[in-house]
Amino acid sequence: MVSASVLVALMILLPLVQMITGPTLANLAEALKDPDVRGAIGLSLATSFGAAAICLVFGTPFAYLLARKHFPGKHLVESIVDLPIMIPHPVIGIAFLGIAGKGHVIGDLMHGLGIRIMGTTTGIVAVLTFVGLPFFIGSAVSGFKKVPQRLENVARSLGASFPQTFLRVTLPLCWRSILVGFIMSAARALSEFGAVIIVAYHPMTAPVMVYERFTAYGLSYSQPVAFWLIAASLLLFVALRVLIQRGETPE
Amino acid sequence: MIKIDNLSIHLPDFAVRDVSLSVAPGEFFILLGPTGAGKSLILEALAGLAPITQGTLHLNGTEITHLPPEKRHLAIVYQDGALFPHLTVKENIAFGLRYQNKKADNARQTVHDLMDRLGITRLKTRKPPTLSGGEKQRTALARALAVKPDVLLLDEPLSALDPATRSEISTLLKTLHRDEAMTCLMVTHDFDEARYLGQSMAVIRDGRIEQSGPVQTLFHHPETPFVARFLKATL
Repeated sequence: MVSASVLVALMILLPLVQMITGPTLANLAEALKDPDVRGAIGLSLATSFGAAAICLVFGTPFAYLLARKHFPGKHLVESIVDLPIMIPHPVIGIAFLGIAGKGHVIGDLMHGLGIRIMGTTTGIVAVLTFVGLPFFIGSAVSGFKKVPQRLENVARSLGASFPQTFLRVTLPLCWRSILVGFIMSAARALSEFGAVIIVAYHPMTAPVMVYERFTAYGLSYSQPVAFWLIAASLLLFVALRVLIQRGETPE
Repeated sequence: MIKIDNLSIHLPDFAVRDVSLSVAPGEFFILLGPTGAGKSLILEALAGLAPITQGTLHLNGTEITHLPPEKRHLAIVYQDGALFPHLTVKENIAFGLRYQNKKADNARQTVHDLMDRLGITRLKTRKPPTLSGGEKQRTALARALAVKPDVLLLDEPLSALDPATRSEISTLLKTLHRDEAMTCLMVTHDFDEARYLGQSMAVIRDGRIEQSGPVQTLFHHPETPFVARFLKATL
């Protein structure tokens, strides 16, 4: 049992340690000075947090509905929400291009409004929202379910409207789960490659740049970019762990 | 006065059917019945917290069937107090006053008076997880009384308490009801509580009223074998 645990830990840690210790400090500094690298990491962060923000705005009411209401077909809806986790991500990119293409009702409408998916930041944000939504909604639903509905009932009977109850009772008791969902969806979006490369090779996100530099110039040239991408992901990971641990601490 | 006419609630696995009852102003009315009989569902429907399939609800002559819960002036107190765990005792009691357009000074005075009256002033900065069962229930009562509701709805407020605290809180309820002349509607499955606190009551079974009337009448003249058995009386 111990040897199996050590093996699993090594499988996770070794590639990451290699990625962190592989590049020299000079290579890392040089990569960071490269405007293309900075642009790619900046674009990855901006699109990932943009997608997470969309998940937050539209996913929160949806998660509340799933946590509180019972309706016919609820299990089906819950399954549909989890679908993006199971679908191969290049397929997601192709599906988005299919919807946004000419000849499709939505595509024609988007073209009419001047919205483009192929090769745009909009396209990147769209697919990142798609892959991040299940993570946000899962965490938010779990947070809402932990707030007893009786507390909301009492607040309503004391004169608070639904929005007032949500802001003064529900949200203060489950904000941590919502923030965890936000960070998880951002972290998931930050690491997305398969869907993004189909939708937008340019503008180039950091994972696409790692791939591009690996295929064009080799391993050592792609490692410094990968290092900075891992650093950004680790920051999110640490924030997530801190939040989860604080949430588990009893008052 | 509360008037419930032909109330029906259909849930996927349970139904309340054709419940009608009246509660006079200032009366302490008991909904008595075994666990799962639908008593709490009737209480929540009255408060606007459970969906009604059919029937009408009136409060002091005004129909409230379709009013949102916050417009009904009915404050609910649950079995476990259902205090807001992120707020202190004082903040819990002040919660509803924000929606009554009370001046800050008046609101502070109301909270202070209620804490004093219910003997919880020393707890004002404490948070609910650190309170005992009795302290939680006193805080929950103070919070409900703060908004001066037309009717106080009590959902098994004594059942989670130890015998000594139960006796203490039931005495407090009786005193508050007498002093405030407030209409109270309480759900319980304990006929001793019903006999001690209630003036009128309805015995509920499987979502229907078996019998209703003055408490003493039900105890002395039960009309069905179920009521007799439940009240440990004889036909």
